[in-house]
Amino acid sequence: MTAPTESEIYDKICELLKPYNPKGLPIERSSGIMSDLEVDSVAVFDFIMELEDHYDISIPMEMVSDIKTVGELSLAAKGLMS
Amino acid sequence: MTALFDKYAPLQTRVDMMMKIGADALGVKFDDILSATRGRIGNREILLAGTNNYLGLTFDEDCRAAAKTAVDDHGTGTTGSRVANGTYAEHTDLEQALAEHFGMPSCIVFTTGYQTNLAAISGLAGDKDVIFMDADAHACIIDGSRLTNASTIRFRHNNPEDLDKRLRRQGEIEGGNALVVIEGMYSMFGDIAPVDEFLDVTHRHGGYLFIDEAHSYGVFGPTGCGIAEEQGVLDQVDFISGTFSKSLASVGGFCASKHPQFEITRKVMRPYMFTASATPANICAARVAVEKVKTGGYLRENLKARAQQLHAGLKALDFDLCADPSPVIAVRRPNEGIAAMEWNWLMENGVYVNLAVPPGTPQSSSLLRISLSAAHTESDVNIIIDAFGRMKASQAEIMSGMMIRMQAAE
Repeated sequence: MTAPTESEIYDKICELLKPYNPKGLPIERSSGIMSDLEVDSVAVFDFIMELEDHYDISIPMEMVSDIKTVGELSLAAKGLMS
Repeated sequence: MTALFDKYAPLQTRVDMMMKIGADALGVKFDDILSATRGRIGNREILLAGTNNYLGLTFDEDCRAAAKTAVDDHGTGTTGSRVANGTYAEHTDLEQALAEHFGMPSCIVFTTGYQTNLAAISGLAGDKDVIFMDADAHACIIDGSRLTNASTIRFRHNNPEDLDKRLRRQGEIEGGNALVVIEGMYSMFGDIAPVDEFLDVTHRHGGYLFIDEAHSYGVFGPTGCGIAEEQGVLDQVDFISGTFSKSLASVGGFCASKHPQFEITRKVMRPYMFTASATPANICAARVAVEKVKTGGYLRENLKARAQQLHAGLKALDFDLCADPSPVIAVRRPNEGIAAMEWNWLMENGVYVNLAVPPGTPQSSSLLRISLSAAHTESDVNIIIDAFGRMKASQAEIMSGMMIRMQAAE
C-alpha cells in the first residue's frame, strides 16, 4: 500500500474530527484543535487514537502535547509514516 | 498585551455559570466532619456519599488512638524529607507491613497518593523506555509520565487487545522496556480492570505491569490487597501503588514491587527525595489501618452489600449508571448544567456526592458520582436512593428554581 499524501491525511483528520465538533465550527489547517474547535484535553487523545488506528501508527502523548493545529497534526502524522 | 490571568477567562466564565446555579461543587466547605458518613454545614447535617472513605476507618478508635500516640511520642511533623532528615522507625515499619501484605520484597511509602505515582513512574521509566497507559488513567499517572523522558502511548480503556496491538506496533524497544500502567478500579466510573488479561499481554511482550490500586486496596481481594488479589494474580504483578487517603483513612501512599531492585529508586525519585516525609500521625494511623484491612472481610462484605443495594435502587429509578455495582457508582447526566443543578439540589436535601465534569471524566461525561463506605448502613443507602428518586420527580421544579436563581444573579 502506498503511503498517503499529506493532503489525504488532512482530509482524514477533518473527517475524524466531525464527531468532536458538534457546533460544526469551520476546520482549517490553522484551526487550533483545542482553542478553536473546542475539543477538550481528554477528547483530543480519544480522537488521536482513532487517527493512530486508521494509519497503524503511534503518536506519543509528548508529541501530541506540542501539536496545536490541524495542519501541525497532519504534518506530524505524515512524518511518522515516511 | 495580555495580563497573566487572561488565559483563564473561558474557565472563569464556566465557574461563574456554576456559581449562578448554586454553590461551588469543587470547593465545598464543611463546618465539621462528624463521622465517616456525616458532615455539617451550618446547622444542617449532610450524609457524606462522596469521600472515598471506603472502609470508614477515619473515626476508627484504634486508628485515632495510634495517631494521637504518634503525635505525643514523635511530634507533629517530620520537617523535611527522608533523604535530609532521616527515616523514622514508623516509616520502615509501615513499609515492611505493606510489603508483607502483598508478599513482595520491597515497598516504599510516600507523602501523598498523587506523589506516589509521580515518584514511582518517574523513577521506573527512563528515556529509552516506553510507557503504555490506559486511556482513562488518573492525572497522577499522566503527570508522572510527564516527569520522565520516556515516550508515552495510550491504549483504549480496559482493553488488553488494544494494548497488545499497540505493543506489537511499537516492536522491539531498543535499549529500553515497556512499562504498562493501569488502575485496579477506576475512580470515576468504578469499573474494574481485567488485570489477569493485562498481565498476560504485558509479560508476553516482555514488559512490566504497574497497577494503581488506590481505589481498590482494602476493598477487593480476600485480604484486601485489591483487584490483582481478587483475580488471583497478585504474585505476578510487577508494581502495585496505592494511597493511604481512601481505605487506609490517612494521608500518604505506597508502591510495592516483586523486584527487590526497586529499592534503588529511592535515590532518584524527586517527589520522594525533595518533599517532606509523611508525618508520624499519618504513618501510625495507616499502620493500624493495614491490620484492619487484612482482617476486614466483614467491612468488605457490608460495602459490597451497600453497593448492590444502591446500584439496584438507582437502576430501578431508571438512572443511567456507568458500570456494574462497585463502591463507586456514577450516575450519568445529560450535561454539565443539569448535573450541577442536581448536585446543588442533593446538597440542599442533605446528601453530598461528587459533581464530576469534563475534562476530568471519561467520554466527556457529566456525572453525579457516589462513593460508598463500609460505615454506611442500609438505612443510609435508602436515604441516598430516596433523595435521587425525589430529585428525579422534582426535575421541573429544580430547573425553574435554578432559572430564577440565575436570573437573579444577572
